[in-house]
Amino acid sequence: MITFENVTKRYPGGTVAVDSLNLEVPAGKIMVLVGPSGCGKTTSLRMINRLVEPTSGRILLDGKDVQTVNPPELRRGIGYVIQQTGLFPHRTIEDNIATVPLLSGWGRAKARARSRELMDLVGLDQAFARRYPYQLSGGQQQRVGVARALAADPPVLLMDEPFSAVDPIVRAALQDELIRLQGELHKTVVLVTHDVEEAIKVGDLVAVFRPGGHLAQVDAPERLLGAPTDDYVRQFVGFDRGIRRLSFFGTTGIALGLEAVASQDQTVAEAVRAAKNTGEQWVLLVDSERKPRGWLSLAMLESLPADTLLASASVEGYGHTFTVGADSLRAALDATVLSRSGRAIGVDDDGRVVGVTSYERLRAAIQEADVAASGGWADATERPGQAAP
Amino acid sequence: MSPWTWIGQNIGLLWSLVKQNAYLGLMPVLYGTIISVPLGVACARWRWLYGPALSVANALYALPSLALFLILLDYTGLTNNTVIIPLTLFSLSILLPNVVDGLRSVPEPVRQAATAMGFTPLRRLVQVELPIATPIVIAGLRVATVASISLVSVAQLIGIGGLGYLLINGFQLSLYVEVYTGIVLIVALALTADVLLVLARRLLTPWQRRSPRGAAA
Repeated sequence: MITFENVTKRYPGGTVAVDSLNLEVPAGKIMVLVGPSGCGKTTSLRMINRLVEPTSGRILLDGKDVQTVNPPELRRGIGYVIQQTGLFPHRTIEDNIATVPLLSGWGRAKARARSRELMDLVGLDQAFARRYPYQLSGGQQQRVGVARALAADPPVLLMDEPFSAVDPIVRAALQDELIRLQGELHKTVVLVTHDVEEAIKVGDLVAVFRPGGHLAQVDAPERLLGAPTDDYVRQFVGFDRGIRRLSFFGTTGIALGLEAVASQDQTVAEAVRAAKNTGEQWVLLVDSERKPRGWLSLAMLESLPADTLLASASVEGYGHTFTVGADSLRAALDATVLSRSGRAIGVDDDGRVVGVTSYERLRAAIQEADVAASGGWADATERPGQAAP
Repeated sequence: MSPWTWIGQNIGLLWSLVKQNAYLGLMPVLYGTIISVPLGVACARWRWLYGPALSVANALYALPSLALFLILLDYTGLTNNTVIIPLTLFSLSILLPNVVDGLRSVPEPVRQAATAMGFTPLRRLVQVELPIATPIVIAGLRVATVASISLVSVAQLIGIGGLGYLLINGFQLSLYVEVYTGIVLIVALALTADVLLVLARRLLTPWQRRSPRGAAA
């Protein structure tokens, strides 16, 4: 556990980077510090391993004041990852990873064996072991950076904008990787970012800083989206926070309909009857394995001879489906919005149709999830279902 | 008389002059390195020191070498030191900026990461900063070595000049084969030393990005 007790950092000249910070990072959790530039988030991070010394206040690591430990010794027990990787250009990948073990006096053979273990852990091909950093891509370098930070198995990991310098696809992959690793390792992680999406994705807890080194709110990501404490936080987390919050709600409980479904060996007449009986404007066409083929509009069906087989009718694309249970309500909503029929197709793990959504069904599911998640928000106007414009 | 006959007759003399020239040319670079590395480290660490140190080094570089040889003659007499000391000062003036530039070429994130990994300042210097400074230091060594090897011949004016002997003696005797042999050997010696330094750099810094042609990893 990391505890900030009234920590202030004032630079010569009077700039206050961090102002009376009180913050507790629970053991085994990812705490994300997020805020605009100059809000003191990086300074706060660097005070943990004494790269920056506080002007006043204390930082406790498992109850021990970091000021009482000599810096090199303290730092060898704290992993550190930075945006520009800071890999040693003159050392091979395996020796880069083995940095802290070598500093701590492990034998070279043992340290290198540990490097290989870590390369596996972070998903780096062992063929890279003898290469130099310049021979790797940005994403690979960042994996080396993470492996290096984990080499001596420190209980605490500090990450300063670790994924900001890579392209969005690699960034998403590295974020997923971090979440996976954390599931195995349970480190106490403090991660600094200016990207609120990243904070919400990887954080167990998110601390929002405001300019001047003040804390605006510390909460679980879902609470941050659902109940921002003030206008600053509300603005900072973004206008579509209501929608984004739906990522935290599953689709297991969503009611899905199967009113207008037809298979390819049925005729147009049967499909039209199904649509009219249910009042639907669209019929979902499925194949013999119940995998979706596309949407048939009622108007189009009525223009065809009644005995035409549906296999030969032209279908509207169905966009993306969502997997019931695995995907979030946000995915279901997104699929619904993108579908011309106003219905999204929920499928099982094998891609077979389970049922379709409607806006009505989504609204009910969102409300239910909301009640279940919060036990009611303090302010009824803050209900996420209604907050999105 | 063919040039080869003269060379054949004097091969023993030529070899001993090459050895003397190499010794008188390389020792100053060695001493210059030994002095410039700690001095450069100090200058990189205490920035205020670099300006004055560089001014002194440049002033030394501007001194005519011959004048220094003559002045030192009174103190160190006709010994190798009379040649080695001025050339050491010249090497120093070339090497000091390179050591400082080399240390400054260490990227800030690398320095910061090293500190955050738990390197002590001394270990960081030896294991991270100096190795990364190596290519720039070696670039300086190449200039210093070539300059030093050719400057040795100037010291022939006080009688200890390695291959410079061939130049002066050849002029006095109007024996041009001797003059040209001297010039060729000086250049060859300097180039050999330079090639060895390039090889040393390749061996010491396999981590450097090669030129675009060889960049395929």
